[in-house]
Amino acid sequence: MWDGLVIGGGLAGLIAGIRALERGKKILIVSEGVGSLAFAGGVLDFGRVRELRRLEKHPYAYVGEMAERAFSYFLQLNPAYTGTWGRRGSVLTPLGTLRETELLPRRLDASPLFKANKIVVAVPGGLKDFFPEIVKANLQKEFPSGNVRLKKLSVEEFADWRAAGKSIPGTVYAEFWGTERGNTALKRHICEIAGEADSEAIVFPGLPAIGCPEVDEVLAGISLPVVGMTSFPPSAIGLALYESLTRRVKALGGELLIGVGVERVEVESARARRAIVRSKGKETALTAETFVLATGGFLGRGLVATPDDVRETVFGLPLHVPPLRGGKDFLGEQPYARAGIEVDRHLRPCDPATGEVLLENVFAAGRILAHWDPWLEHCGGGVSLSSGLLAGELL
Amino acid sequence: MYTQTQWGEEGGPGPKPAAEPGGDDSHRQECGDPAGLDACVKCGICTAHCPVARAYAPFPGPKNLGPDAERLRLEGVALDPGCLAYCTNCKTCEVVCPSGVRITDMILRARRQQGSAQAESAKSRLRIRDHVLGRAEYLGRLGTVWPEFTNTVLATKLTRRLLQKALGISAEAPLPKYKKRFRLEKGSAAELTSESGQNGGKSVEGTGSSSMGRGAAGDPSAGNGSASKQVVYFPGCFVNYNDEATGLAVIRVLEHNGFEVIVPGFHCCGVPLTANGRFREAEGNARRNLALMEPYLERGIPIITSCTSCGLALKEDYPRIRVPAAKRIGAQTYDLFEFLWLLHERGELKEDFLEVRVPLAYHAPCHLKAQGIGTPSLRILRLIPGVKAEELDAGCCGLSGSFGFKAEKYELSLQIGHALFQRVRQGMREGKFKAVITECGGCQVQIAQGSGARSLHPVWILAQAYGLGGGT
Ligand SMILES: Cc1cc2nc3c(=O)[nH]c(=O)nc-3n(C[C@H](O)[C@H](O)[C@H](O)COP(=O)(O)OP(=O)(O)OC[C@H]3O[C@@H](n4cnc5c(N)ncnc54)[C@H](O)[C@@H]3O)c2cc1C
Ligand code: SF4
Ligand code: SF4
Repeated sequence: MWDGLVIGGGLAGLIAGIRALERGKKILIVSEGVGSLAFAGGVLDFGRVRELRRLEKHPYAYVGEMAERAFSYFLQLNPAYTGTWGRRGSVLTPLGTLRETELLPRRLDASPLFKANKIVVAVPGGLKDFFPEIVKANLQKEFPSGNVRLKKLSVEEFADWRAAGKSIPGTVYAEFWGTERGNTALKRHICEIAGEADSEAIVFPGLPAIGCPEVDEVLAGISLPVVGMTSFPPSAIGLALYESLTRRVKALGGELLIGVGVERVEVESARARRAIVRSKGKETALTAETFVLATGGFLGRGLVATPDDVRETVFGLPLHVPPLRGGKDFLGEQPYARAGIEVDRHLRPCDPATGEVLLENVFAAGRILAHWDPWLEHCGGGVSLSSGLLAGELL
Repeated sequence: MYTQTQWGEEGGPGPKPAAEPGGDDSHRQECGDPAGLDACVKCGICTAHCPVARAYAPFPGPKNLGPDAERLRLEGVALDPGCLAYCTNCKTCEVVCPSGVRITDMILRARRQQGSAQAESAKSRLRIRDHVLGRAEYLGRLGTVWPEFTNTVLATKLTRRLLQKALGISAEAPLPKYKKRFRLEKGSAAELTSESGQNGGKSVEGTGSSSMGRGAAGDPSAGNGSASKQVVYFPGCFVNYNDEATGLAVIRVLEHNGFEVIVPGFHCCGVPLTANGRFREAEGNARRNLALMEPYLERGIPIITSCTSCGLALKEDYPRIRVPAAKRIGAQTYDLFEFLWLLHERGELKEDFLEVRVPLAYHAPCHLKAQGIGTPSLRILRLIPGVKAEELDAGCCGLSGSFGFKAEKYELSLQIGHALFQRVRQGMREGKFKAVITECGGCQVQIAQGSGARSLHPVWILAQAYGLGGGT
């Protein structure tokens, strides 16, 4: 018997679990897959919280103070991150353009580039999904007064990858820089660039940004700023964030059950009792006092769309589904983005038609909530963090 | 009463391949239909987590070998079969995949179809090697006939160099030590509680039952004895040939909880055979084991495993065999600690624990993660006063059964386990823990080799807490 069972181990579920564990609860997190953190590149967007809060039914409207608390909570949880409430920072996209965000790994903070006149882009040999010429052109556009040049680094340790005709995934490069040999190579390359006359800042794709003290140490000894980049999925930095959160769960004595989905939950008189999980060979029943539903949206598979409707996959809860009107403008608003569960102020699922609370001891958090659009409002990380933290307080 | 006749591979008591249909037919469906293919959203998460793809450049990784290549395979295009052999079947890819794609099914099926065992072992010495490594049983029997001799011989550099030259078994790899064969005597409870660390020379062939003085209780046809207090124990090759003491500890813990433990003369579960491309023999073993289990399964008696790879095979592979017993095996197989946790939840676990003051690190074996039951051993151990257990969470140990014994894969196997060894060494240095606990015998051997740390099955901690003789 657990105090709390969290269904879905993405950003929202993990934060809920960590907070509840800190409060001394016995927590189990069950997740089908590793969640969408690996897609998100490790930066967390909050968006214009004050404006969004005014939208009726927007998650920011009912989580209230929790948004700001979640912001500082996350910074304290993960010292590799930086950010100032109410202000935006910038990071480089995988193509070398700038984009704004609120919570970012220090390593990705692009602000030093605004002050540099001579920018060197390191080009680690064979790095997958990295396009140096495009990055150079885009950086030049972003910083028209500066001079951008490329610097090829040949890393002999990857000779066998090249021989196999394969480019090297960012995750493999990131891991390598943290090893002893990688560390030595990194130091050598960076010192070489720093020693050249026309360098004032280094852009370095594929560097680890979270939980890699070895690399931090090398870079601390360099006088030039070294700016990392976000990458295409699967993102090494997103995965590192995921791993740092799961480690935290385990360090606090929590348990993670990854790779199996909750098939269904048995409900008695508006209370969830037992979650049924598809283990190998048989079903396992998990009993808990309270539950968090953080199964994500269409990508996390908390919601599935069929030609004629949208379904919530665990409880079969009734959903808010906006009328289909868009669709003409491909990049415009996609109404399905706002589909999801309606909840009360305590994150308990409600019937969208009547407002009646449907489950007393279930708290919904993250992408599965209705009435928000991470793409248009740029608040994917913020809503998931704040609703996750609130769920962690309620568990 | 059964007689163990595993010696002659084909001479066993196993049934003729059953003619009647039965078991889980999902296998058939999967074979005919590419289900799962469309579920793949091409996110690449699996390959980012695959321990082999991370460490070994030429390995294309699960996305490529599984769902991507499956499309080609369905159209009759085959890939270079050599790379398929580098998949260790650790199942990490399947665990992390957000879409539930059965990646390793696809890879194993491809290996089976392409006969990649032959391709990999084009040279006959490698075929012999796969034959030897595929049969923990053979190697085991060799070792247990005269353990001292085998261990001495296996330990000499010369022998290991010869093995590497002749068979491609790495001279450096940590071959487990061979001990006397695990045997359980009928009515041997008293003996079991005696000092077991010293390989007490029990060697009665046949079904053993630990029931106190109840001679026929091990016989499923004997109607006496309530089925609810009986369990069948599937020890697996590691306990059978390398680590008898742990098997006895498992039995003592179950007995302490009031169970009568039945140990039929099981054969190797088949996992090492599958891993070495000997699919038909693996299925043969499964059939024979199922035949041995059938009478117990019919009476609803649970099958307990203490090896996570055996457990996974019983839960995942055996239900696909087309014999009636296959219908029950998945649901009735429990990992030891999964079973004990159920007892705990029902309030039936004996919790008269003595304090065990020892800081431990826990390594979750890949095949435990793949069972989808979480980490029940940690849950149980944390019920014991004094136990502090930290989860290492540093990925795969790299050995993957016999993978790391192969000369061409030995280095790679250590590289895969590098992160884990580093964490273990660091933790030991800082005095954070004194030993590593993990269910898998292969992981134990590899961790000891890679990091020098003492490693043991978690049942030892529980046995100590019960005052049944300890392991720390
Ligand atoms: C491609 C992409 C890029 C993004 N980029 C950014 C970005 O740059 N900045 C930003 O701030 N945000 C970004 N986001 C959004 C942000 O990542 C999400 O808001 C947030 O991760 C959602 O978290 P979640 O925990 O609600 O859902 P998810 O992360 O989707 O997690 C849901 C989890 O639940 C599991 N699950 C589903 N069903 C079950 C079941 N029945 N039983 C057990 N488990 C189940 C899933 O496997 C999954 O692990 C991005 C999202 C995507 C998809
Ligand atoms: S198999 Fe799963 S993890 Fe791998 S690419 Fe496809 S969906 Fe992603
Ligand atoms: S089973 Fe393991 S080694 Fe094989 S592809 Fe999957 S993750 Fe890689």
